[in-house]
Amino acid sequence: MDSKPSDEAGELAGKPPLPVKIVVAGGFGVGKTTTVSVISEIPLLTTEAAMTEVAAEIDRTGHVPQKTTTTVALDFGCITIDEEIKLYLFGTPGQDRFGFMWQDLTQGALGALVIVDTRRLEDCYAAVDYFEHHDIPFVVAANRFHGKLEHHLEDVRWALAVSEETPLISFDARQRRSVRDALLSVLHMSLARAEYPR
Amino acid sequence: MALSAMAGGEDWRQPPDPGLTRPYLDEAGGVDVPPPVREASGVRPYLLTGGRVRPADASLEIEAQVQTTPAGHSDADRLMFEHRDIVVLCAQPISIAEVAARLGLHLGVARVLVSDLIEAGYLAVRRPDVGLPQNKKIIERVIRGLQAIR
Ligand SMILES: Nc1nc2c(ncn2[C@@H]2O[C@H](COP(=O)(O)OP(=O)(O)O)[C@@H](O)[C@H]2O)c(=O)[nH]1
Ligand SMILES: [Mg+2]
Repeated sequence: MDSKPSDEAGELAGKPPLPVKIVVAGGFGVGKTTTVSVISEIPLLTTEAAMTEVAAEIDRTGHVPQKTTTTVALDFGCITIDEEIKLYLFGTPGQDRFGFMWQDLTQGALGALVIVDTRRLEDCYAAVDYFEHHDIPFVVAANRFHGKLEHHLEDVRWALAVSEETPLISFDARQRRSVRDALLSVLHMSLARAEYPR
Repeated sequence: MALSAMAGGEDWRQPPDPGLTRPYLDEAGGVDVPPPVREASGVRPYLLTGGRVRPADASLEIEAQVQTTPAGHSDADRLMFEHRDIVVLCAQPISIAEVAARLGLHLGVARVLVSDLIEAGYLAVRRPDVGLPQNKKIIERVIRGLQAIR
């Protein structure tokens, strides 16, 4: 494996697993927690994390916008991929504020799943902006609440103005296989990006 | 302990392609898009723990795996409070996020306590490799692992 040796390991029985992660983003109530918990092999865990936010008001005089630190709940789960790799899924809200700080969370992420509720598309704008600006591979996934979509996917693409290369899928956050497939499409995006970096 | 490089070389201040602007960005004839804020030098208050300050950049990733070393097991009884709880909890490798969640600690606090224990040799750590998002072999393995889920 091309991983760093953990020299501090002493005489540990085996090496700790290699952690990888995918971020699950979107507005409140879009189905992030449902998505993570339906596929996680451990019961969903929650922790509090600090995030630095930029005030919603944009200062047009060029001043650095006011920053505040807020605490947000981060839910997560994990999936054992093989004898070495452990995949973590971190679900976090990220709407409302433009320019919220996700550096900590997205550092080293393989990619992101941005969940949208097609009745409230605007809730995912901030997340889409973030992943675009930071060149993090992502997929937009419309959660089929009540088994249907309120809008056609192409209308969603138009409304979000995401590029043609960004996959737009619909899925059901309550179905494990559907979540698995949504995560697979994120990973295919990650693979494509790894093959043809921007 | 090697620190993984911060995502280097990115231009964090680059404005978005105007053709790819969400409707609300287009109001009032093109609002300037503020640069995504990246706090490199400022110390976040929650990193102040036990009177020590750590630069944010030195933070361990939240998914980094930690596991108690033999030294950690044998000295566990001599450790205090959360340090001891962590050493007991990490008999099997878990992430820093799990340490925080299972002990009801704020993520930033868990991170500092874990760092202390790594420094003391009581925890071994495995951090995500640098360049992981570009590692095709790893991504392919993750794909295969997920495909096995039914
Ligand atoms: N009918 C339906 N309800 C859903 C679906 N996904 C999530 N929900 C419900 O919507 C609510 C919000 O979901 P949650 O996962 O907590 O959203 P989060 O705020 O993004 O974490 C919960 O009551 C879920 O049970 C779905 O696909 N269909
Ligand atoms: Mg939730």
